[in-house]
Amino acid sequence: MPNEIFMPKLSSTMAEGTVIEWFKDEGETVEIGEPILEIMTDKINIEVEAYHEGILLKTYFGADDVVPVNHVIGYIGEEGEGVPDTAPGLSSEASAEETGGKGSREDNAASSDTGTPEEKAPSKSDRTVSGTRENSLGKVRATPAARALARNEGIDIHDVSGSGRNGRIHKQDVADHTSGSEEHQKTPVNHLATGVRTEKLKGARKTVADRMADSSTSIPHVTIDFEVEMDNLIDLRNRVNQQNPDDKVSFSDLFILITSRALNRHPEINITFENDVIQYHDARNIGLAVAVDKELLVPVIKNTESKSLLSIRDDSKELISKARDGKLIPAEMQGGTFTISNLGMYSIRQFTPIINKPQAGILGIGGTMDRPAVHDGRLINKKAATFSLSFDHRGVNGAPAAAFCNTVKHLAENPVELIL
Amino acid sequence: MREITYLEAVREALSQEMRNNEDVYMLGEDIGVYGGAFGVSRGMIEEFGPERIRNTPISEAAISGTAVGSALTGMRPILELQFSDFITIAMDNLANQAAKIRYMYGGKGTIPMVLRTPSGSGTGAAAQHSQSLEAWAAHIPGLKVVQPSTAGDAKGLLKAAIDDSNPVVFYEHKLLYKTSGEVPEEQYSIPLGKADIKQEGTDATIVATAMMVHKSLEAANLLSEKGIDVEVVDPRTLVPFDTETVVESVKKTGRLLVVHEAVKFGGIGGEIASIVAESEAFDYLDYPIRRLGAAFVPVPYNPVLEKASVPSVEEIVENIQEMVNYQS
Repeated sequence: MPNEIFMPKLSSTMAEGTVIEWFKDEGETVEIGEPILEIMTDKINIEVEAYHEGILLKTYFGADDVVPVNHVIGYIGEEGEGVPDTAPGLSSEASAEETGGKGSREDNAASSDTGTPEEKAPSKSDRTVSGTRENSLGKVRATPAARALARNEGIDIHDVSGSGRNGRIHKQDVADHTSGSEEHQKTPVNHLATGVRTEKLKGARKTVADRMADSSTSIPHVTIDFEVEMDNLIDLRNRVNQQNPDDKVSFSDLFILITSRALNRHPEINITFENDVIQYHDARNIGLAVAVDKELLVPVIKNTESKSLLSIRDDSKELISKARDGKLIPAEMQGGTFTISNLGMYSIRQFTPIINKPQAGILGIGGTMDRPAVHDGRLINKKAATFSLSFDHRGVNGAPAAAFCNTVKHLAENPVELIL
Repeated sequence: MREITYLEAVREALSQEMRNNEDVYMLGEDIGVYGGAFGVSRGMIEEFGPERIRNTPISEAAISGTAVGSALTGMRPILELQFSDFITIAMDNLANQAAKIRYMYGGKGTIPMVLRTPSGSGTGAAAQHSQSLEAWAAHIPGLKVVQPSTAGDAKGLLKAAIDDSNPVVFYEHKLLYKTSGEVPEEQYSIPLGKADIKQEGTDATIVATAMMVHKSLEAANLLSEKGIDVEVVDPRTLVPFDTETVVESVKKTGRLLVVHEAVKFGGIGGEIASIVAESEAFDYLDYPIRRLGAAFVPVPYNPVLEKASVPSVEEIVENIQEMVNYQS
């Protein structure tokens, strides 16, 4: 019997995945553990490995097709074995493996449905297959009421994101969309205008967008700025990098080290905050915002409190290169307790970073510029950058946040203390 | 207002009409001294005599054929079948004669008869005495189909059924006979084809019939404790069907759950769901229509299985919660 390849469920929030590309064509031989296709989840791109060896008999979905988790996307088997012509829907292997959660709810729904098994079975798979087809046809799942409201409001239903099962759009989603932003209402008009290209957010970008909006609207952000003289830090970096010309330390590495040591002195900042509960973390797991093409990824350098500058450098190098290659796994982007967003390479003086929920603080770093400074009553030229700390005022108060900023400034200006 | 049982309400409607209208008479198995299988006509033979409360042989074909014939001559027969399951035996007279004659003879003859019969499960009477076959009758043009769920509805609807010049199949649910409700003492008529909103609500519409009206109302009570406001609509008659009340209700709530005790597959729920889907309420639906009905099995004798084979209050609550909270 041929073995199913199904869309894996890689996180508790993953409902569907997008096929990026198949590495194998139908008819090719695959080995166990060999990557056979790449998929994109709401967080990440990842390669799916073969669980079985044999011939790749069938692939049901191509690039950019969106498939619900645990649905069969192909078969591996022996040459000549028969497989269905169309995607059979939910994988029997995957749902058997899954305990609790969605699988069991499906079962409950089925058992509450008092029809016969003969009656139920086809209707269930009809439903799942048609959902898949709709997605692959670029159609939208929406209730009649949602469509009617969208029609009346002049909203393109494609622009609305659905909160229901398999992304089904309900009336409330359309209402939320309408009230959410005035700009949304203009979107249909833009569709008609010439010289305008539209791009619907999906996958990781959509997740980032949703999380940004959620964080920005649900957290009382306070951002405080402070100026840091950078001469000593620049000097330190130059010296270190003269020692290791082939394996340089970046400013970001230094900022991670400084932030980590500052968090050691201010454990009340190294927290996560959810449901009115503050969690204080022993580990200083520092996320670093990394731009990859259009994506924003935040790999987390774990346990920086026990790491040297060079070991931070090694970790961040590896994670950044994985991010650029789209090879980060979810675990490498989770567990952060604080985030750094470094725009120092741009002509940015200052900005207000958005907190990475459920963390309570994020440090934004602007560009280093020549600035006049007064030292001992004399006006001198200094290289300085503006740092901005955004913090969640529910979990962190102003005074401790300011004290933390003082420490960051002090360590950055007196990096010799980093060895203490 | 005084309260009487559903059974007493049916008997009262029969007796009051028979006092006023000499053309009305009853026929059925053991409806005389014994009072019928469930005692509905108990005491009536004493008042109206054996000519008007007629015991018949054990033949539903004979009972229904006699009724059709006497109706054609101008009488207004009310026949009782002991169990609605036996409508199978009366079906040729019902489907091919009673339902057709008025149409086939261009209105020259009418069949003003009422077929009263107890339906439904829940009494441990097993597969041949527990069915809900109302969808069979509803499928035949020319037959009207009534399913009262309360004592007050039973009395008023039975009066309207007797007054109607067409054959009416009048289903009385066995478990409802002992339920009580407020019933006016005087004669009154509830028009056939007028649904009743048993409870108003805004979050979801339950269209339920017969026994399921009561389960739905019980479910609505439990749901209101969870802040879910359910509207329970009882169509009361399947033919004619009150499309307007159901459609307006679904337009208001955006969600429809149909609950009946008959087998779900091929049941009247499919028709009600389609009526709504085809109506202007379609654009108000914010969740797929759902149906609850009996399992596709003969009604089991085992009381645990019998109970499990038909929709329960818990299932209604569960389904409405999922629909209102978009849980699946």
